[in-house]
Amino acid sequence: MIVFNIWSVLQWYLRPFIKWFLRKTTRLCELQRICYGDRVGSERTRNVEKSLMMSRTRDVKEVVSYLDGTVLQRRFIRCHFREILDPSVAIILRVKKINPKLHVSFIVSFRRCLEQIWSYRSLIDEVEELRRTQFDSNNDEHEQMLLNLWSLLVPDSPLEGRVSKQWQHIGFQGDDPKTDFRGMGLLGLENLLFFATNYLQVSRHVLSHSLHPTYGYTYAIVGINITSMAYYLLKDGSAKTYMFNAKQSLPNINLFHKFYCYLFYEFDKMWIESKPQNIMEFSMIFKKFENAVRMELADPASVFRINIEVDNI
Amino acid sequence: MGFLTILKKLRQKEKEMRILMLGLDNAGKTTILKRFNGEPIDTISPTLGFNIKTLEHRGYKLNIWDVGGQKSLRSYWKNYFESTDGVVWVVDSADARRLNDCARELHTLLREERLVGATLLVLANKADLPGALSLQEIQEALDLDGIKTHHWRIVRCSAVTGENLLIGMDWMLDDIASRIFTLD
Repeated sequence: MIVFNIWSVLQWYLRPFIKWFLRKTTRLCELQRICYGDRVGSERTRNVEKSLMMSRTRDVKEVVSYLDGTVLQRRFIRCHFREILDPSVAIILRVKKINPKLHVSFIVSFRRCLEQIWSYRSLIDEVEELRRTQFDSNNDEHEQMLLNLWSLLVPDSPLEGRVSKQWQHIGFQGDDPKTDFRGMGLLGLENLLFFATNYLQVSRHVLSHSLHPTYGYTYAIVGINITSMAYYLLKDGSAKTYMFNAKQSLPNINLFHKFYCYLFYEFDKMWIESKPQNIMEFSMIFKKFENAVRMELADPASVFRINIEVDNI
Repeated sequence: MGFLTILKKLRQKEKEMRILMLGLDNAGKTTILKRFNGEPIDTISPTLGFNIKTLEHRGYKLNIWDVGGQKSLRSYWKNYFESTDGVVWVVDSADARRLNDCARELHTLLREERLVGATLLVLANKADLPGALSLQEIQEALDLDGIKTHHWRIVRCSAVTGENLLIGMDWMLDDIASRIFTLD
């Protein structure tokens, strides 16, 4: 702890000198060195974010708080990127004395980093709101989602009633799932539904594991616990590795759902491989799984994909 | 000096208690545990398996075991009975529909040999919700007055507001302490 404190104090005083020295010798500012030198994806974007957050330049701080403001107003979406990012990038170029004609590729790369960093922040807000929305059985939309989940996972046997013991087949605790979402709210249901909708075969495959006579578990309840894990990984920034390494898409709710699907699929694999004696080993194996995921996320080069081979089984 | 006395003395030194929290699913066991431990309570998911917390309260070291309450887990409750000093039975006061289930599970539990002598605290949780049953109604439905084998008390509380939680816990700790930490 003390060592850490000394280091952060040293860093605070030394950083400007190191930056000044590098600037003189490389003729590039820190942001340029990151954008040219660091590997695209999590490594680069995280370092750009760190550099911006640590900046003591007034104009840079203003850009940061302006961008945070657009997240707060829910305006940081693709259709506004131009009007939001053009002036922000221009200010940085001016403050850092970067010639836009000479450093075209810096602008492209830096801009992409800004898009990723603030999309991630928008995503946290969006996920938080979904989580806070309680499942409401008087809301037709919520009810319909629940019924959809059933018909996707168990197409062959229709529900006999909205309140029914059948729900336990897909791993809810009792005869009415509404009380099972708890602190994860609608986010838990949307995650489950996304998994069943977009990876139908995989989710049925996982469901079939959960019905195993010895290694069985409660599918939906495990799913809601996975939601909780994904939520915390997003909140504490660990999920940046996953989100920033995604090439096709900026951090958004679908990417979060995909992250969830990956976690669920991998947890199922680990659970079956662990050959647990009974369900009471859940807490232990779940913790072990979380540690493994955190280890993997700590490596900036990690890329996560669901093994699609399952689709063909 | 008998073996039991030595055991009592050993425990007195550490003032350690083992507390088991049980009840139907969605009664609020984890929320109570987290509230008691001063942790945020708005991001809880259903407990699969168990949570264990060790915390200090009034000079006692409490090992609290919070075991999931869904039906498929109840057969595993017995794995946690050994050397339990107190049982906290958590009831959802607003769930009138399952009060019979709740009573049945409680009385099955109390017949358990390994829990003989354990103090029983019934927490009528979610008392702040509209439609919550009164203390009297729950006491009758659970047939608490019929319990002769355990010291018991029922407290109306709310894990969300924190109301009365400490009153209940403190009563239980006093009762346990008077039993296991007092030497002849």
